[in-house]
Amino acid sequence: MLTKEQNELIQMTGPGTKMGDVMRRYWTPALLSWELPEPDCSPVRVKLLGEELIAFKDTDGKIGLVDNYCPHRRASLFFGRNEECGLRCVYHGWKFDVDGNCVDMPSEPAESNFKDKVKVTAYPCLDMGGVVWTYMGPPEKQPQPPMFEWTQVAETHRSVTKVLQESNWSQALEGGIDSIHASWLHNNDLSDKVKLESRSPSSSIEVELTDYGYNYGSVRPLSQDEGNFVRAYHYIMPYTQIRPNQVRSESPSISGHMWVPMDNENCMVFNWTYTLGQAPMTEKQKTRSEGVDGFYKWVDATKGFRSILNMDNDYGIDREVQRTKTFTGIEGATNLQDRAIQESMGFLYDRTKEHLATTDRAIIMARQLLVQAARTVEDGGTPPGVAPTYYGIRAIEKVLPSDVRWQDALHDEIFEGEGYSPVVS
Amino acid sequence: MLSAQDNEMITRTGPGTPMGEYLRRFWMPALLSEEIAEPDSPPVRVKILNEELIAFRDTNGDVGIIDNFCPHRRASLFFGRNEECGLRCVYHGWKFDTKGDCVDMPSEPAESNFKDKVKIKAYPAEDWGGYIWAYMGPAESMPELPEVGWAMVPESHRKVSRRLQENNFVQGIEGGIDSSHISFLHFGLPPVIRDDPAKKAQTLSNTDTAPHFIVKNTDYGFVYGANREAENDSYYWRLTPFMLPFFTVIPGGSGNPDERTYSGHGWVPADDENCWMFTYSWNASRPLNEGEGHGASFLEKEPRTMRATMNKDNDYGIDREVQRTKTFTGIEAISVQDSGIQESMGPICDRTKEHLGTSDSAVIAMRRMYLQGCRDLLEGKEPFVPQKGSAYRVRSVADVMDRSVTFEETTEKVAVGAA
Repeated sequence: MLTKEQNELIQMTGPGTKMGDVMRRYWTPALLSWELPEPDCSPVRVKLLGEELIAFKDTDGKIGLVDNYCPHRRASLFFGRNEECGLRCVYHGWKFDVDGNCVDMPSEPAESNFKDKVKVTAYPCLDMGGVVWTYMGPPEKQPQPPMFEWTQVAETHRSVTKVLQESNWSQALEGGIDSIHASWLHNNDLSDKVKLESRSPSSSIEVELTDYGYNYGSVRPLSQDEGNFVRAYHYIMPYTQIRPNQVRSESPSISGHMWVPMDNENCMVFNWTYTLGQAPMTEKQKTRSEGVDGFYKWVDATKGFRSILNMDNDYGIDREVQRTKTFTGIEGATNLQDRAIQESMGFLYDRTKEHLATTDRAIIMARQLLVQAARTVEDGGTPPGVAPTYYGIRAIEKVLPSDVRWQDALHDEIFEGEGYSPVVS
Repeated sequence: MLSAQDNEMITRTGPGTPMGEYLRRFWMPALLSEEIAEPDSPPVRVKILNEELIAFRDTNGDVGIIDNFCPHRRASLFFGRNEECGLRCVYHGWKFDTKGDCVDMPSEPAESNFKDKVKIKAYPAEDWGGYIWAYMGPAESMPELPEVGWAMVPESHRKVSRRLQENNFVQGIEGGIDSSHISFLHFGLPPVIRDDPAKKAQTLSNTDTAPHFIVKNTDYGFVYGANREAENDSYYWRLTPFMLPFFTVIPGGSGNPDERTYSGHGWVPADDENCWMFTYSWNASRPLNEGEGHGASFLEKEPRTMRATMNKDNDYGIDREVQRTKTFTGIEAISVQDSGIQESMGPICDRTKEHLGTSDSAVIAMRRMYLQGCRDLLEGKEPFVPQKGSAYRVRSVADVMDRSVTFEETTEKVAVGAA
């Protein structure tokens, strides 16, 4: 349970808010690289941390992310002409480059120098790992690039998607780092009693604080002979989760989410997966995650990446399926079950009314880290999770003997490198 | 740039607000006459100045504009029965005439005199120039009906319409008195055409894209001129009258000024985040042809909401390929280009963040006039409101003139003169 003030501290991320100031210290995923397919392509609306922005790729291939509103009379630059190395407002022809400079002002007399006095807000961008990232914080604090392992592997080994979630970002994060709900919410075959999650619905959560957030494991006891099913995840400040997918997969991989605040009541969920080892992703994996018959069968990329099954149609819940086949009666694809349950809490989850239990430990820790980060930034410090200590870390899952600590057994695989450990005591 | 307080002041028009009280001293276009063409025709919902109203034409042909909510139990009179010289609420049968008197109350005992104590809010209404006008202000301040050009000609000589625009009314007007944008939004050229000498694409309005603006106050508001450099030591003059509180006449046409077809718009607040764009076209010398008049009057609209079918939900039908190769915006109709760009500023433009240039002088003049009207009212003074209908007998100018002709001389051509 949080107080009303603590709750708002975590939820509000607009300009000038405490959590907004924290968020602005990281590279922020703004959109998918393919949304800006070529130089001079159509500009794209982007909403981040309560700010309305326009992304464009100029004639030279440079990416710009500027204020939606032309500084002249506040017309939207979405309708702008992207040509000749700049975005030109269609109202009076003012033109801006990717750095926000006004490079042409044809509606004013030639002798005027007003052009040199006017700028539009522009944020630096970089294109990495299939995602366009931006930095919206103080220029002197700009961190090193977000070189997560998934952003560094070849494109053939990775897929990235995004989907709109109609809720505050923080309840999406909390759903993601809550490993326990998988046994219930995602039980898509009520008859399957063999599935590892289903066999031991009450698992424990163990959290190891690190200098980027924490490394946490869910431990599900199987039989005495088999040992424990352990899944070791990471939470990287402020909104990234990394999770393993190796035990039951023919092609071991690591996946994750980033729950990026758009405004207080909406966030964009970026999903990514990459394969471990030499082999690229299989056709099946690619289709499932990116294809029009896979992910984008469920998510309409032409309508703000909103799920086709959404709150307006009760997420397509089928009560007969719920009675007889799956726990929810809601389709399992694209994390729809997660969005349904997280959005069902209301746009702004009221944490003054909740009742947390022992399995919510990871959630409690994340909140503490966020509140602490707000204090740190307010005092002029640097919050956890600003590059580069998270570079190269991995999420690992294994069935381990009951008497082995996963923290010891998996350490080298998780942190990839002997002697290095970001774990803090 | 305006302060947040001044921006609030000119954009809020509900009852009791300074701008709302100022606007209530003018006749407001409420709907088209043709929307309630026949006696006893169906009543029509009207939302203006943040008030929900119902317009109807009674059995005698008189027009009523009354509160939407029946004073009994607040049911909407939109569902009312318009018959036998009054509008009868379908909930309990209470009936009101165009003056707002309750003329029948069949749900109360015959001996009750409750009927005589109940009135519904009713505003003076006039059928004038193809519009039904309402006067919503203090009776003692009521001015004459404005003798606007389209009201002074026979019905066959005019074309009128209205449509919903999803933004505050002030940004509608600011588009209307901003001559500068036509060189870009409407007639700007993609580089592929601009840079192709074979296409000879230059027009009077895009040869010189930075016209010089002059504003002159008048007895109807102000007139402003923009002169663009043209050939042979001449200027292309465009003069736009701004008639209080929100009417414009667009410069256009050629030939004898008495024989031109003129068009313009007025932006009536619906509520603070929506407005009605009223459009009018007229020709003093002849009936209009089929299809003649401002394009806004011929837009496809959703009949119930009067919203254009090209709207913000479909990005106004922007076609990026057309934008690359043919037109500046890729949006088809001129009037949709205007509403698209004005709505894109958000429901209420944040004027604390703008950067006005020299081409925005008319916009600045209009805001000053509004703020003056509001401040006068706040100080208990009656604001300037043209009382004489004849002050509104004006039109626009769009002509190439010798550079020796002064702005003062050009402005004389705006006045038509009271007959």
